[in-house]
Amino acid sequence: MATTTEQVKVMTNQNKFPPWYLKDLYRYLSAFAVLTVIYMGFRIYQGAFAVSTGLDSTEPAFDVYWMRLLNFELVFITLFTSIAWGWLWFTRDKNLDKLEPKEEIRRYLTLTMWISVYTFAVYWAGSYFAEQDNSWHQVAIRDTPFTANHIIEFYFNFPMYIILGGCAWLYARTRLPLYANGISLPLTLAVVGPFMILVSVGFNEWGHTFWFREEFFAAPIHWGFVIGVWFAHGVGGILLQGVTRLIELLDGLEEAA
Amino acid sequence: MSANSSTRTFRPYTGEKARIARAYDYLVLVLALFLFIGSFHLHFALTVGDWDFWVDWKDRQWWPAVTPIIGITFPAAVQAVLWTNFRLPLGATLCVACLSIGTWIARIFAYHYWNYFPINMVLPSTMLPSALVLDAVLMLSNSLTVTAIFGGSAFALLFYPSNWPIFGMFHVPVEAGNSQLTVADMFGFQYIRTGMPEYLRIIERGTLRTYGQVAAPLSAFFSALICTLMYTLWWYIGKWFATTRYLKRI
Amino acid sequence: MKKLFNNTSMYQLNPSMVRQALGNCSMRCPTSCIHAVDHERIQQVTSGHSQKEYYSMNKITSVRPEPVEGQLEKLLKCLLFLGLILSVYMLTLQPVMAHGEKNLEPYVRMRTIQWYDVQWSQQKFNVNDEVSVTGKFHVAEDWPISVPKPDAAFLNISTPGPVLIRTERYLNGKPYMNSVALQPGGDYDFKVLLKGRLPGHYHIHPFFNLRDAGQVMGRGAWLDIAGNEADFTNNIQTINGEMVNMETYGLGNGIFFHSFWALLGTAWLLWWVRRPLFIARYRMLQAGLENELVTPLDRNIGKVILVGVPVLVFAFYTMTVNKYPKAIPLQTSLDQILPLSAKVNAGVVDVETLRAEYRIPERAMKLSLKIKNGSDKPIQLGEFATGSVRFLNKAVPVPEQSNAESVVAPEGLNLDNPAPIQPGEQRTVLMTAADALWESERLDGLINDADSRIGGLVFFFDPEGERYVSSITAAVIPKFN
Repeated sequence: MATTTEQVKVMTNQNKFPPWYLKDLYRYLSAFAVLTVIYMGFRIYQGAFAVSTGLDSTEPAFDVYWMRLLNFELVFITLFTSIAWGWLWFTRDKNLDKLEPKEEIRRYLTLTMWISVYTFAVYWAGSYFAEQDNSWHQVAIRDTPFTANHIIEFYFNFPMYIILGGCAWLYARTRLPLYANGISLPLTLAVVGPFMILVSVGFNEWGHTFWFREEFFAAPIHWGFVIGVWFAHGVGGILLQGVTRLIELLDGLEEAA
Repeated sequence: MSANSSTRTFRPYTGEKARIARAYDYLVLVLALFLFIGSFHLHFALTVGDWDFWVDWKDRQWWPAVTPIIGITFPAAVQAVLWTNFRLPLGATLCVACLSIGTWIARIFAYHYWNYFPINMVLPSTMLPSALVLDAVLMLSNSLTVTAIFGGSAFALLFYPSNWPIFGMFHVPVEAGNSQLTVADMFGFQYIRTGMPEYLRIIERGTLRTYGQVAAPLSAFFSALICTLMYTLWWYIGKWFATTRYLKRI
Repeated sequence: MKKLFNNTSMYQLNPSMVRQALGNCSMRCPTSCIHAVDHERIQQVTSGHSQKEYYSMNKITSVRPEPVEGQLEKLLKCLLFLGLILSVYMLTLQPVMAHGEKNLEPYVRMRTIQWYDVQWSQQKFNVNDEVSVTGKFHVAEDWPISVPKPDAAFLNISTPGPVLIRTERYLNGKPYMNSVALQPGGDYDFKVLLKGRLPGHYHIHPFFNLRDAGQVMGRGAWLDIAGNEADFTNNIQTINGEMVNMETYGLGNGIFFHSFWALLGTAWLLWWVRRPLFIARYRMLQAGLENELVTPLDRNIGKVILVGVPVLVFAFYTMTVNKYPKAIPLQTSLDQILPLSAKVNAGVVDVETLRAEYRIPERAMKLSLKIKNGSDKPIQLGEFATGSVRFLNKAVPVPEQSNAESVVAPEGLNLDNPAPIQPGEQRTVLMTAADALWESERLDGLINDADSRIGGLVFFFDPEGERYVSSITAAVIPKFN
């Protein structure tokens, strides 16, 4: 009788989706969905209000539609950082030396999901809204550092991917033995380098304020962003760290159908 | 010999292990897709930028020089990781395909739908033929030196002829304002951009007194030379970033 | 009056502003411009209307129907309103972060391009209709030291995207397509022809892009473009005689070639991605199974790519070269268009600025001018224009300059001696240009500039309406008490 129950359980586990190693699959997909809604929401908001209220920063409507949005973003970013980083830290695994191999495998896959969500945020910040900046500054005369696209790009998108990069870093640091024992250089590079892009915003605004009045996108004033994004290549090292460790873990795992 | 002995002892993963490995593949592919759209596009937009955005920036001197020199960077770095460790000859095509996805989305939704620029005014250039050849050279040669010299050169030399079928027709002459312009210049004049005055364009600086006043081939060969160097440099940049070190402290 | 422009009082205005803004989605001003809103606000303030009257007028004049008002926008508005209620709780005590459309330093606005007589041919027209803007400008002699000389300048139009297209442009009657070198001290007139492309209500200015200096706005106007976007046509004729539809030219061809290469690229990626990738290949490589990772078939495909892709590239290239044998390089030039004979500082009426003081509490600029009337009729000083502001002497009938908006202080100009200056007479006059506009337009910021000098145009009129214009300049001495 007991044998029969066990067999049923095994079969159920085998057919279960998502399987144990993709336990966080739905959270992962939800993260993509939520981020997509947020970013597309921003774009729809821009489409609806940027031309009507976002062209002139001295308009009262600009304060209402854009400066308050900026304030909301800053509040949201602060809260989200505290919650996300705080949660990852306070729920950290304090018994990493007793971690089961299967659990470690699962966590490697979840770490990859975290980094993937991070790169999804990098997509919106580095690709879509970045190039859209050039488009918008062909329409608006830049009369404030807080243009209708900067407010979203610099003060939401940039902090957002930094937070998510920080989440990935913290997840690895608090839940995976190798990352807890030593600080992964490639993971740190891949998170800290793009963080420097946010710092470059200050350099960019300084340049545009004092000595660069043109909207020449390939100008040297923008190259600070470029150097920051090169650090994304750290992902190559993260991949190798993941692959080598996963092979060790999988080799030690019993064969299952 | 050792390879043969390894071959004999090597057992590929099957069953659940294979499924885990495949799940990991897919997760990494999704990660890579967005990573390279985001990072390569940002790198490209802020260095090649205007030459790629606007039809009236695509001159025969700067555009075919600047684009491949900047465009070969990420492909080289990614090839260094994917070929060296996985024998995957798709680094260049992957990066350039990701770049194309990013630019097309931006041109349609940021330039056209948001700010009313016609899409034909902001058509991106393509580096896919160059990238395919670069991947093929690396796969067939399995050599950094050969790929840098021949693949890097081909990457640059193929750029202008790959794009002329897209942009050649914008160079048909038009008479306007008592002067001769190209259709591309007319786009710049007619479709108003507040932040892109004509003087900002960098169009053919210098004289053309050598090789029968040709510009594009000269630029392409200059670009080819630089691309061989850039390829090598970026191969090592990719390799350096792909470190697997763990530090005691940062 | 003062409070209306005070940062902290701005939030008192917000409920009305919110209402106005919410109903106002089709108001489109692309620039750091003088809006109808600002304009009226200032006029109300200067003429002493109540806030209530100001809002009601503002609403009537500013709110226009949005061409397309979808459900989505309504939903967004609802969400926004909820957001606003929250934000009021959070942020009411914060001052408005007023960066200002007037962020361009006053000395650049006052002492570079000095616009006047800007005129629009019509303000209501249809898609495909032509509209022109004409006007004049004087390039200030006292060009700021921190601004590069106007060796390359581009007469542009600020629009929220190409809602109009620019079809022709003239400087001093000469057509020009590229950039132009301007001469300090020179006088120019301009004309730009535009064609309506996208229906809507837009605020449009002529302006100059000055290399490394920024944008100096001319006076703007509200334009209403009616009609249907789909009706817009823009066909141009090439030198070969072919008619080209600029809206679609080369688009299908570009999409075809991008798609073709994208197809090949995708096929190459899928060829590899369909196999087990990272973990499997890493293990195999470590195990020395390199030959299984890249199979002979892979190598053959690689050889096909190596030969086939360049062959295709050169085949397409050759086809294109044969199809468009008359292709020419992109054209660029720096046009050299000489200034007109002097219109400003023409030598009939000479003006020398002896001293300029800015009295901060009174928001009054006091200029001591030595004026010599070399004409044969008595003249009166009727206007002082600087930046985007016009200070008018109510004692002198100043003809309406244009239908383009400027910020006007209708009684802002006073003279210590209002009597006409007789022919041949030389007189020193103390001219006072006083108004809150100095502050609201942020021209008073010049006292904080490293190069704190003022520049502007003074306009004299004789009894027959003849106008004499002089460009004046002086260092400004602030008076704090």
